[in-house]
Amino acid sequence: MALAGMRDALSLPAWVVGFGLVGVGSLARDVGYPVEIAVLSTILVWAGPSQVIFFASIAAGAAWSAIALAIGFASLRFLPMTVAIMPLLQRPGQSLRMQLLLAHYVAVTAWAEGLRRLPGMPPHQRVVYFLAFANTCMAVSSVGTFLGYYLLGELPVALAAGLLCLTPIFFLASLSAGLRHRGDIVAIVLGLALAPVCHRFIGGGFDLIVAGLVAGTIAFFFRPRKRAS
Amino acid sequence: MTPAITQPIPWLDGPLWPYLALLVFAVLPTEIWRWLAVAFARRIDADSPALEWVRAVATALLAGIVAKLIVAPPGALAAVPLFVRVAALAATLAVMAFDRRKMLLAVLAGEAVLIGGSVLLL
Repeated sequence: MALAGMRDALSLPAWVVGFGLVGVGSLARDVGYPVEIAVLSTILVWAGPSQVIFFASIAAGAAWSAIALAIGFASLRFLPMTVAIMPLLQRPGQSLRMQLLLAHYVAVTAWAEGLRRLPGMPPHQRVVYFLAFANTCMAVSSVGTFLGYYLLGELPVALAAGLLCLTPIFFLASLSAGLRHRGDIVAIVLGLALAPVCHRFIGGGFDLIVAGLVAGTIAFFFRPRKRAS
Repeated sequence: MTPAITQPIPWLDGPLWPYLALLVFAVLPTEIWRWLAVAFARRIDADSPALEWVRAVATALLAGIVAKLIVAPPGALAAVPLFVRVAALAATLAVMAFDRRKMLLAVLAGEAVLIGGSVLLL
Protein backbone atom coordinates (compact mmCIF):
# COMPACT_ATOMS: atom_id res chain seq x y z
CA MET A 1 0.00 0.00 0.00
CA ALA A 2 2.89 2.31 0.78
CA LEU A 3 4.30 1.55 -2.66
CA ALA A 4 0.94 2.27 -4.27
CA GLY A 5 0.85 5.63 -2.49
CA MET A 6 4.34 6.51 -3.67
CA ARG A 7 3.59 5.35 -7.20
CA ASP A 8 0.37 7.37 -7.43
CA ALA A 9 2.16 10.44 -6.07
CA LEU A 10 5.02 10.11 -8.55
CA SER A 11 2.60 9.51 -11.43
CA LEU A 12 1.96 13.29 -11.48
CA PRO A 13 0.85 15.07 -8.28
CA ALA A 14 4.25 15.09 -6.53
CA TRP A 15 5.88 16.68 -9.56
CA VAL A 16 3.21 19.32 -9.88
CA VAL A 17 3.44 20.37 -6.22
CA GLY A 18 7.21 20.15 -6.42
CA PHE A 19 7.40 22.41 -9.46
CA GLY A 20 4.72 24.66 -7.97
CA LEU A 21 6.85 25.27 -4.86
CA VAL A 22 9.94 26.14 -6.90
CA GLY A 23 8.56 29.70 -6.92
CA VAL A 24 8.50 29.80 -3.10
CA GLY A 25 12.23 29.10 -3.02
CA SER A 26 12.93 32.13 -5.18
CA LEU A 27 10.61 34.35 -3.08
CA ALA A 28 12.48 33.34 0.11
CA ARG A 29 15.78 34.23 -1.50
CA ASP A 30 14.43 37.64 -2.56
CA VAL A 31 13.90 38.63 1.10
CA GLY A 32 17.30 37.34 2.17
CA TYR A 33 16.09 34.42 4.30
CA PRO A 34 18.30 31.32 4.37
CA VAL A 35 17.53 28.32 2.17
CA GLU A 36 16.66 26.22 5.27
CA ILE A 37 13.73 28.54 5.93
CA ALA A 38 12.43 28.03 2.40
CA VAL A 39 12.62 24.24 2.68
CA LEU A 40 11.27 24.24 6.27
CA SER A 41 8.31 26.33 5.11
CA THR A 42 7.45 23.59 2.62
CA ILE A 43 7.66 20.87 5.28
CA LEU A 44 6.05 22.71 8.21
CA VAL A 45 3.52 25.00 6.50
CA TRP A 46 2.77 22.65 3.59
CA ALA A 47 0.44 25.10 1.89
CA GLY A 48 1.61 26.93 -1.24
CA PRO A 49 -0.60 30.02 -0.82
CA SER A 50 0.48 30.50 2.83
CA GLN A 51 4.13 30.29 1.85
CA VAL A 52 3.66 32.69 -1.06
CA ILE A 53 1.84 35.18 1.21
CA PHE A 54 4.54 34.88 3.89
CA PHE A 55 7.54 35.65 1.69
CA ALA A 56 5.77 38.04 -0.69
CA SER A 57 4.38 40.10 2.25
CA ILE A 58 7.80 40.35 3.88
CA ALA A 59 9.14 41.59 0.55
CA ALA A 60 6.34 44.19 0.47
CA GLY A 61 7.08 45.35 4.03
CA ALA A 62 3.74 44.28 5.54
CA ALA A 63 3.20 44.28 9.32
CA TRP A 64 3.73 40.91 11.03
CA SER A 65 0.18 40.94 12.37
CA ALA A 66 -1.19 41.56 8.85
CA ILE A 67 0.91 38.70 7.49
CA ALA A 68 -0.37 36.28 10.13
CA LEU A 69 -3.97 37.44 9.58
CA ALA A 70 -3.77 37.07 5.79
CA ILE A 71 -2.30 33.58 6.14
CA GLY A 72 -4.95 32.67 8.70
CA PHE A 73 -7.74 33.67 6.35
CA ALA A 74 -6.18 32.02 3.32
CA SER A 75 -5.79 28.82 5.37
CA LEU A 76 -9.35 28.78 6.68
CA ARG A 77 -10.09 26.39 3.82
CA PHE A 78 -8.14 23.69 5.70
CA LEU A 79 -10.87 23.55 8.33
CA PRO A 80 -13.61 22.31 5.96
CA MET A 81 -11.11 20.32 3.90
CA THR A 82 -9.67 18.47 6.89
CA VAL A 83 -13.10 17.87 8.42
CA ALA A 84 -14.13 16.34 5.09
CA ILE A 85 -11.21 13.94 4.75
CA MET A 86 -10.60 12.86 8.37
CA PRO A 87 -13.59 10.46 8.52
CA LEU A 88 -11.99 8.51 5.66
CA LEU A 89 -8.76 8.13 7.62
CA GLN A 90 -10.08 7.60 11.13
CA ARG A 91 -9.66 4.15 12.64
CA PRO A 92 -10.90 2.79 15.95
CA GLY A 93 -8.29 3.36 18.64
CA GLN A 94 -6.27 5.84 16.57
CA SER A 95 -4.29 8.24 18.76
CA LEU A 96 -4.85 11.98 18.70
CA ARG A 97 -1.20 12.44 17.80
CA MET A 98 -1.67 10.28 14.70
CA GLN A 99 -4.73 12.25 13.66
CA LEU A 100 -2.88 15.56 14.06
CA LEU A 101 -0.05 14.15 11.96
CA LEU A 102 -2.48 13.02 9.24
CA ALA A 103 -4.17 16.43 9.31
CA HIS A 104 -0.83 18.17 8.77
CA TYR A 105 -0.59 16.63 5.30
CA VAL A 106 -3.94 18.06 4.21
CA ALA A 107 -3.29 20.43 1.34
CA VAL A 108 -4.94 20.57 -2.05
CA THR A 109 -3.08 17.67 -3.63
CA ALA A 110 -3.39 15.03 -0.95
CA TRP A 111 -6.91 16.23 -0.19
CA ALA A 112 -8.30 16.09 -3.73
CA GLU A 113 -6.51 12.83 -4.54
CA GLY A 114 -7.44 11.36 -1.15
CA LEU A 115 -11.15 12.14 -1.48
CA ARG A 116 -11.06 10.56 -4.92
CA ARG A 117 -9.07 7.41 -4.15
CA LEU A 118 -9.57 6.58 -0.43
CA PRO A 119 -13.29 5.66 -0.51
CA GLY A 120 -12.59 2.75 -2.89
CA MET A 121 -9.92 1.38 -0.56
CA PRO A 122 -10.29 -0.94 2.47
CA PRO A 123 -10.23 1.31 5.58
CA HIS A 124 -7.22 -0.40 7.19
CA GLN A 125 -4.99 0.37 4.17
CA ARG A 126 -5.91 4.03 3.83
CA VAL A 127 -3.60 5.59 6.46
CA VAL A 128 -0.48 3.90 5.07
CA TYR A 129 -1.45 4.85 1.52
CA PHE A 130 -2.19 8.46 2.47
CA LEU A 131 1.06 8.90 4.43
CA ALA A 132 3.14 7.38 1.63
CA PHE A 133 1.40 9.55 -0.96
CA ALA A 134 1.72 12.78 1.03
CA ASN A 135 5.32 12.19 2.18
CA THR A 136 6.39 11.49 -1.39
CA CYS A 137 4.81 14.78 -2.48
CA MET A 138 6.54 16.56 0.42
CA ALA A 139 9.97 15.08 -0.36
CA VAL A 140 9.78 16.05 -4.04
CA SER A 141 8.51 19.52 -3.08
CA SER A 142 11.35 20.09 -0.61
CA VAL A 143 13.83 19.42 -3.39
CA GLY A 144 11.82 21.72 -5.68
CA THR A 145 11.87 24.55 -3.11
CA PHE A 146 15.62 24.08 -2.62
CA LEU A 147 16.31 24.19 -6.36
CA GLY A 148 14.01 27.19 -6.82
CA TYR A 149 15.98 29.12 -4.19
CA TYR A 150 19.07 28.92 -6.37
CA LEU A 151 17.71 28.60 -9.91
CA LEU A 152 14.43 30.41 -10.60
CA GLY A 153 15.95 33.87 -11.07
CA GLU A 154 17.96 32.44 -13.98
CA LEU A 155 14.88 31.29 -15.94
CA PRO A 156 13.26 33.20 -18.84
CA VAL A 157 9.97 34.92 -17.95
CA ALA A 158 7.80 32.49 -19.96
CA LEU A 159 9.12 29.50 -18.00
CA ALA A 160 8.94 31.28 -14.64
CA ALA A 161 5.32 32.21 -15.43
CA GLY A 162 4.64 28.60 -16.43
CA LEU A 163 5.92 27.38 -13.05
CA LEU A 164 3.81 29.95 -11.17
CA CYS A 165 0.71 29.00 -13.19
CA LEU A 166 1.14 25.32 -12.41
CA THR A 167 -0.67 25.72 -9.09
CA PRO A 168 -4.01 27.08 -10.44
CA ILE A 169 -3.93 24.73 -13.44
CA PHE A 170 -3.35 21.71 -11.24
CA PHE A 171 -5.93 22.81 -8.65
CA LEU A 172 -8.52 23.06 -11.42
CA ALA A 173 -7.62 19.67 -12.91
CA SER A 174 -7.80 18.04 -9.44
CA LEU A 175 -11.16 19.62 -8.75
CA SER A 176 -12.59 18.42 -12.08
CA ALA A 177 -11.17 14.94 -11.53
CA GLY A 178 -12.93 14.73 -8.16
CA LEU A 179 -16.42 15.71 -9.37
CA ARG A 180 -19.11 13.49 -7.87
CA HIS A 181 -22.40 15.20 -8.69
CA ARG A 182 -23.95 18.41 -9.96
CA GLY A 183 -23.47 20.04 -6.53
CA ASP A 184 -19.70 19.86 -7.07
CA ILE A 185 -20.05 21.40 -10.53
CA VAL A 186 -22.09 24.28 -9.10
CA ALA A 187 -19.48 24.79 -6.35
CA ILE A 188 -16.61 24.96 -8.84
CA VAL A 189 -18.37 27.19 -11.39
CA LEU A 190 -19.70 29.61 -8.75
CA GLY A 191 -16.39 29.63 -6.89
CA LEU A 192 -14.53 30.53 -10.09
CA ALA A 193 -17.08 33.23 -10.96
CA LEU A 194 -17.53 34.81 -7.52
CA ALA A 195 -13.90 35.02 -6.41
CA PRO A 196 -12.88 37.73 -8.93
CA VAL A 197 -16.04 39.69 -8.08
CA CYS A 198 -15.32 39.48 -4.35
CA HIS A 199 -11.66 40.29 -4.99
CA ARG A 200 -12.82 43.49 -6.69
CA PHE A 201 -15.28 44.59 -4.02
CA ILE A 202 -14.25 43.03 -0.71
CA GLY A 203 -10.90 43.93 0.80
CA GLY A 204 -8.80 42.95 3.79
CA GLY A 205 -8.36 39.31 2.81
CA PHE A 206 -12.01 38.45 3.39
CA ASP A 207 -12.85 38.05 -0.32
CA LEU A 208 -12.06 34.33 -0.66
CA ILE A 209 -13.95 33.37 2.48
CA VAL A 210 -17.08 35.22 1.33
CA ALA A 211 -16.88 33.71 -2.17
CA GLY A 212 -16.40 30.23 -0.74
CA LEU A 213 -19.23 30.47 1.78
CA VAL A 214 -21.74 31.89 -0.72
CA ALA A 215 -20.82 29.56 -3.61
CA GLY A 216 -20.53 26.50 -1.35
CA THR A 217 -23.86 27.13 0.36
CA ILE A 218 -25.67 27.54 -2.96
CA ALA A 219 -23.96 24.38 -4.28
CA PHE A 220 -25.05 22.51 -1.14
CA PHE A 221 -28.69 22.92 -2.18
CA PHE A 222 -27.93 21.45 -5.60
CA ARG A 223 -26.61 18.17 -4.19
CA PRO A 224 -28.60 15.08 -5.09
CA ARG A 225 -31.09 14.08 -2.39
CA LYS A 226 -30.17 10.92 -0.53
CA ARG A 227 -32.83 8.23 -0.49
CA ALA A 228 -34.35 7.77 2.96
CA SER A 229 -32.89 4.60 4.44
CA MET B 1 10.95 52.74 -5.34
CA THR B 2 10.96 49.31 -3.74
CA PRO B 3 9.47 49.22 -0.25
CA ALA B 4 11.73 48.04 2.57
CA ILE B 5 11.19 44.44 3.62
CA THR B 6 9.45 43.73 6.91
CA GLN B 7 12.01 44.09 9.70
CA PRO B 8 12.37 41.60 12.59
CA ILE B 9 10.67 42.49 15.88
CA PRO B 10 13.61 44.20 17.68
CA TRP B 11 13.57 42.44 21.08
CA LEU B 12 13.23 39.03 19.41
CA ASP B 13 15.81 39.63 16.71
CA GLY B 14 18.80 37.33 16.43
CA PRO B 15 20.18 34.49 14.37
CA LEU B 16 17.05 32.43 15.06
CA TRP B 17 14.60 35.15 14.00
CA PRO B 18 13.72 33.71 10.55
CA TYR B 19 12.81 30.40 12.21
CA LEU B 20 10.71 32.11 14.86
CA ALA B 21 8.95 34.25 12.25
CA LEU B 22 8.16 31.21 10.11
CA LEU B 23 6.74 29.30 13.09
CA VAL B 24 4.66 32.11 14.57
CA PHE B 25 3.46 33.97 11.48
CA ALA B 26 3.19 31.17 8.88
CA VAL B 27 3.06 27.70 10.46
CA LEU B 28 0.72 28.59 13.33
CA PRO B 29 -1.98 30.46 11.34
CA THR B 30 -1.99 27.63 8.77
CA GLU B 31 -1.80 24.63 11.08
CA ILE B 32 -4.37 25.86 13.58
CA TRP B 33 -7.23 25.09 11.16
CA ARG B 34 -6.03 21.54 10.61
CA TRP B 35 -5.89 21.00 14.39
CA LEU B 36 -9.34 22.49 14.94
CA ALA B 37 -10.67 20.26 12.17
CA VAL B 38 -9.34 17.15 13.94
CA ALA B 39 -11.23 18.22 17.06
CA PHE B 40 -14.42 18.62 15.00
CA ALA B 41 -13.99 15.50 12.88
CA ARG B 42 -13.90 13.27 15.97
CA ARG B 43 -17.54 13.95 16.64
CA ILE B 44 -19.10 14.30 13.21
CA ASP B 45 -20.85 11.65 11.10
CA ALA B 46 -19.27 11.06 7.67
CA ASP B 47 -22.68 11.10 5.93
CA SER B 48 -24.14 14.10 7.70
CA PRO B 49 -25.50 17.05 5.70
CA ALA B 50 -23.20 19.34 7.71
CA LEU B 51 -20.20 17.56 6.24
CA GLU B 52 -21.68 17.79 2.74
CA TRP B 53 -22.01 21.55 3.25
CA VAL B 54 -18.44 21.81 4.53
CA ARG B 55 -17.21 19.91 1.47
CA ALA B 56 -19.16 22.21 -0.85
CA VAL B 57 -17.63 25.29 0.81
CA ALA B 58 -14.11 23.79 0.62
CA THR B 59 -14.59 22.96 -3.07
CA ALA B 60 -15.86 26.46 -3.85
CA LEU B 61 -12.97 28.00 -1.85
CA LEU B 62 -10.43 26.07 -3.89
CA ALA B 63 -12.09 27.12 -7.14
CA GLY B 64 -11.98 30.67 -5.77
CA ILE B 65 -8.22 30.41 -5.14
CA VAL B 66 -7.77 29.27 -8.76
CA ALA B 67 -9.70 32.28 -10.05
CA LYS B 68 -7.82 34.66 -7.75
CA LEU B 69 -4.39 33.37 -8.80
CA ILE B 70 -5.45 34.00 -12.42
CA VAL B 71 -6.94 37.52 -12.03
CA ALA B 72 -4.38 38.72 -9.43
CA PRO B 73 -1.29 36.61 -10.21
CA PRO B 74 2.04 36.60 -8.30
CA GLY B 75 5.46 37.52 -9.71
CA ALA B 76 6.36 36.71 -13.31
CA LEU B 77 2.85 35.43 -14.06
CA ALA B 78 1.55 39.02 -13.89
CA ALA B 79 3.61 39.80 -17.00
CA VAL B 80 1.47 37.36 -19.04
CA PRO B 81 -1.71 38.92 -20.53
CA LEU B 82 -4.96 37.99 -18.77
CA PHE B 83 -6.46 36.28 -21.81
CA VAL B 84 -3.50 33.90 -22.05
CA ARG B 85 -3.92 32.97 -18.36
CA VAL B 86 -7.63 32.36 -18.88
CA ALA B 87 -6.98 30.42 -22.10
CA ALA B 88 -4.60 28.15 -20.17
CA LEU B 89 -7.36 27.30 -17.65
CA ALA B 90 -9.82 26.78 -20.51
CA ALA B 91 -7.44 24.33 -22.20
CA THR B 92 -7.15 22.35 -18.95
CA LEU B 93 -10.93 22.30 -18.49
CA ALA B 94 -11.50 21.26 -22.11
CA VAL B 95 -9.27 18.19 -21.72
CA MET B 96 -10.92 17.27 -18.39
CA ALA B 97 -14.39 17.66 -19.93
CA PHE B 98 -13.33 15.31 -22.72
CA ASP B 99 -11.91 12.64 -20.40
CA ARG B 100 -11.63 13.04 -16.62
CA ARG B 101 -8.84 10.47 -16.34
CA LYS B 102 -6.48 12.52 -18.52
CA MET B 103 -5.13 14.75 -15.74
CA LEU B 104 -1.54 14.77 -16.96
CA LEU B 105 -2.69 15.75 -20.44
CA ALA B 106 -4.96 18.45 -18.99
CA VAL B 107 -2.10 19.99 -16.97
CA LEU B 108 0.28 19.81 -19.94
CA ALA B 109 -2.33 21.40 -22.25
CA GLY B 110 -2.80 24.32 -19.86
CA GLU B 111 0.96 24.79 -19.44
CA ALA B 112 1.52 24.57 -23.21
CA VAL B 113 -1.02 27.35 -23.83
CA LEU B 114 0.48 29.53 -21.10
CA ILE B 115 4.15 29.08 -21.97
CA GLY B 116 3.44 29.12 -25.73
CA GLY B 117 1.35 32.26 -25.41
CA SER B 118 4.01 33.96 -23.26
CA VAL B 119 6.78 33.13 -25.74
CA LEU B 120 4.70 34.51 -28.62
CA LEU B 121 3.55 37.68 -26.88
CA LEU B 122 6.37 38.74 -24.54
